[in-house]
Amino acid sequence: MNGAAIVTHKLTRRFGGLTAVDNVDLTVAAGQFFGFLGPNGAGKSTTIKMLTGLLSPTSGRAELLGIDFAQHPVEVKRQIGVVPEGMGLFERLTGSEYLQFVGRMYGLDASTTQCRSEELLEFMQLADRPKTLIADYSHGMQKKLALAAAVIHGPRILFLDEPFEGVDALAAGALKALLGRMTERGVTIFLTSHVLEIVERLCSHVAIIDKGRLVAQGSLEELRAGIPSAEGTKTTLEQIFLSIVGQDASQRPQLEELSWLT
Amino acid sequence: MADLTTELNLLQQIRLIAGLRLRIFRNGLRGKNKQLDVLGTVIAAVFGTLLIVGFSFAFFSGAYQFVQLGRYQWLGLLFWAIFIFWQFIPVFTAGFGAAFDFRKMLRFPLSLSAFYVVGLAYGFFDFSSIACVCWLSVMTLGVAAANPALFPAMAITCFLFLLINLTLERTVGSWLERILARRRAREIFFALFFLLIISVQFISPMLQRYGRSAAPGITIVLPYLHYLNVFPPSLAGHAIAGAGGHHASEFLLGAAGLTAYILFFSVFLWIRFAAQYRGEELSETVAPRAVPRRVAPSGSRRDALSLLSPQVAAVLRKEFRYLTRNSFAFFLLIMPLAFVLLFSMQFAGRHPTALKHSLSPDTFFPGMMGYLILILMAPAYNCFAFDGRGIQTYFTSPLSFREVFLGKNLMQLTLSAFELAIAIFAFSYIVGLPSLPVLLATLAAMVFVISGQLAIANWSSVSFPRRLNFGQMRGQRQSGMGGLVSFATQLLLGTICAPILFLSRWTHSPWLPAEVFAFLAAGAIAGYFSSLDALAQFAERKKESLIEALSK
Repeated sequence: MNGAAIVTHKLTRRFGGLTAVDNVDLTVAAGQFFGFLGPNGAGKSTTIKMLTGLLSPTSGRAELLGIDFAQHPVEVKRQIGVVPEGMGLFERLTGSEYLQFVGRMYGLDASTTQCRSEELLEFMQLADRPKTLIADYSHGMQKKLALAAAVIHGPRILFLDEPFEGVDALAAGALKALLGRMTERGVTIFLTSHVLEIVERLCSHVAIIDKGRLVAQGSLEELRAGIPSAEGTKTTLEQIFLSIVGQDASQRPQLEELSWLT
Repeated sequence: MADLTTELNLLQQIRLIAGLRLRIFRNGLRGKNKQLDVLGTVIAAVFGTLLIVGFSFAFFSGAYQFVQLGRYQWLGLLFWAIFIFWQFIPVFTAGFGAAFDFRKMLRFPLSLSAFYVVGLAYGFFDFSSIACVCWLSVMTLGVAAANPALFPAMAITCFLFLLINLTLERTVGSWLERILARRRAREIFFALFFLLIISVQFISPMLQRYGRSAAPGITIVLPYLHYLNVFPPSLAGHAIAGAGGHHASEFLLGAAGLTAYILFFSVFLWIRFAAQYRGEELSETVAPRAVPRRVAPSGSRRDALSLLSPQVAAVLRKEFRYLTRNSFAFFLLIMPLAFVLLFSMQFAGRHPTALKHSLSPDTFFPGMMGYLILILMAPAYNCFAFDGRGIQTYFTSPLSFREVFLGKNLMQLTLSAFELAIAIFAFSYIVGLPSLPVLLATLAAMVFVISGQLAIANWSSVSFPRRLNFGQMRGQRQSGMGGLVSFATQLLLGTICAPILFLSRWTHSPWLPAEVFAFLAAGAIAGYFSSLDALAQFAERKKESLIEALSK
C-alpha cells in the first residue's frame, strides 16, 4: 500500500494459552498522528512491542515503511524511535550521557550526537542538572528524557507508550507542540494513552483493540459516524470508546453496589 | 457515611503487622522460579534454628555453672555475648535493604505513642532479636535451676536488658536507615563492610606472623577493661551478682543503671520516630540545585575509541561509567591485590604461615592466576545484571547484538587485564616471578581460559539473566544455573590446563606447555569470534525472557 507507514498482517501473539494479540490487521498512513486505544490488558503494549522489535509475533507479520520487520529488523529500527513501557533507560547514566549513548547506538557521529543531545536537553528543560543520574530523576523527567532519546536520530515513525503519564502540564504542552511539528514534517506517530481527551485532541486517526482483537479503526470522523448521537452534539472519543468496547451501562460496575460510600 | 471504624488496640496492631510480614514473606516465595528461593529459605531456617538451639544449651549451662560456682559476675560475659550479637548483626544486615518499611503504617490512624510502640515491636521480628530473647530466657532458666531464689532478680534484669537492646537496636537501626537513605551512603557502607570482611581474612596470618610480639600489647589493654563496667551487659552482670550476694543495693544500682540506659535510648528513638511520624521524607533524590547552563557550541571532537564501531564504543563507554558509579563493584577491584597478599603470606615468600616450606613461584604463580581469573570472570556470566530496563534500548536500536557482546566483553577483558597486571606486579614484588617458560605458559593459559569462557559466559548471560541493583545486597543473588555454568566451565578449563602445565615435568621440555597454550589460546579466540553471530541470534530469540528478567 502506497503511503503506509505501518501495516500489519494478521499479527498474532500468544502467551501459552492466552492470545494477547489476535490476527490484527492494522494500517497507519505516513504522517498520521495515530492513537491506539484499548482497555487494560487489551493488547496495546504487546502490539507496540511487536512493532518495535521487543517481542516476536507468534504469527503474522509487520511492515514498517514498506520494509518487512522480521526480514530486515536493523533497517526498520534505524527509521523508528520508541518510548517503551517502563522507558528502558540506563539509570546509572546522566541524561546527557544517555542521549549520547543512544545517538551513537543509532550510528550518529560524535559531534552531531553531542549537539543534538544538548539541544534536546535544553528543550526538555533537563539541561540544568548535568550531573544528576537518571536514577535520581523524577518520573516526569525520565519520561521527557526517554522521549528525547526516541527522537535524537530523527525517526520517521515514533512509537509512544503512554508518553504523557507523569509529565507536568507545562512539559506536556511543549511535548504536544513538538509532536505536532513532527507530524507536519511527515513523521508518523503511534501513541497509546488512557487519557482519551489527549488522544482526541492530538490524533487524527484511531484504532481500538479489545481482548486482542482490533475492533475499530479509522479517522475520528469515521468512528463518530458509526455512533448515534443526539442532534447537534458531537460524540466524544470516550463515548465512541465505551460504545465500541461494549461496556454499556448494564456491563459497568454499578455505583449502587457501593452505596455505603455515599 | 456511617462511621464503622473502631480503634484497634496495640496488640491487635502488632498482630496485624506480624501477619502482614508473614504474608509478604510467603507471597515473595510464590512463582515458578522461586523453588530455589524456597530451598534457600528452608536451609537458612534450619541453620538458624540450629544456631539458636545450639547456643541455647551453651547459655543455659553457662548460666547454671556460673551460679553454681558462685561466680555471678561472670554472667556479665553471657550478657556481653548477647549484647554484641543483638546489636551488630542487624547493623551488618541493615544495608542489605529493607524488606518491609513499617513507616507505611503511617497512612493508618495511629497516635505517635502507638506508632512508637508498633515501631519498637517491629524490632522483635528480626532473627537476632528472636535468637537473643531465646537465649535470655534459657539463661533465666539456667540461673533459676541453679538457685531458684535468684529467679525474680534474673527475670527483672533480663527484662530490662531486653528493653535496652530492643530500644538501642531500633535507635541505631532508624538512624542508620536515615543515613542509608542516600544511595551513595549505602554504597560506601557496603564498600566498608566488604573491606571489613576482607580485612578479617588477614587476622589469622597476621596473628601467626606477629602474634608473639603483639602479646605485650594485649596486656596493656587489660587494665582498661574495667571501664566496660558502665555498659549495660556489665551492669546486668553486677545486678545479678548483687542479688546473688544478697546485696540489694547493688542489685538496685544495676537495675537503675539499666533503666537509665532505657530512658536515654528511648529519648533518641522517640526523636527519630517523631520525625518519621511528622512525615519525614527519606528520598533517594538529592534535591538538585538548578545550575543555569548555556549550551556550548560543539566543535568536532576526536573520538578516543574511533577504532571501534560507534555502537561497540558506546557500549564500552556505558560499561565503564557503570563501573565507576557502582561503588561496590569498584571496591571489588581491590580483591585481586588483597588475595595475592593474603595467599602469598600463607603459602609463599620467605615465611609462609600456613606451610612449613613455601611453594615455589613456578607452582604458586599459575595457581594464583587461575584463582584470580575465577573471581574476575564471575560477573561475565550475568553481564546484563545491572542494565535493568535499559536492556530494551539494545533491542530497539539498529544493531546486531554481536556489538553489544563485543562492547561488554571488551570492558571485561580490559578490566581483567588491568587487574591481572597489577596482581602480577604485586606477585613479582612479594614472591618473585616464575621462570620464563612457566610465566609465558601461564600468560598463554590465561588468554585461553578467558577467551574460552567469554562465549559460554555470553550464552549464560542470555540464558540465565538475573537483575542486580546498585547499592543493594539483599536479594542480590546470581542465578543458580548461571553460577553452576560458571563453576562447571571454570572446572572444565582448569582440568584442561592443569595437566598441560605439568607436561614440562613429564616430557622434560620446559617450553612445551607455553606452545600448547598458545595454540589453545589462538583456537579459543577464533572460537569466540565465530560464536558471536550465533549468540546474537540466540539473544534475539531469547529477548522476551531477557527483558522480562531484567525489567522486574
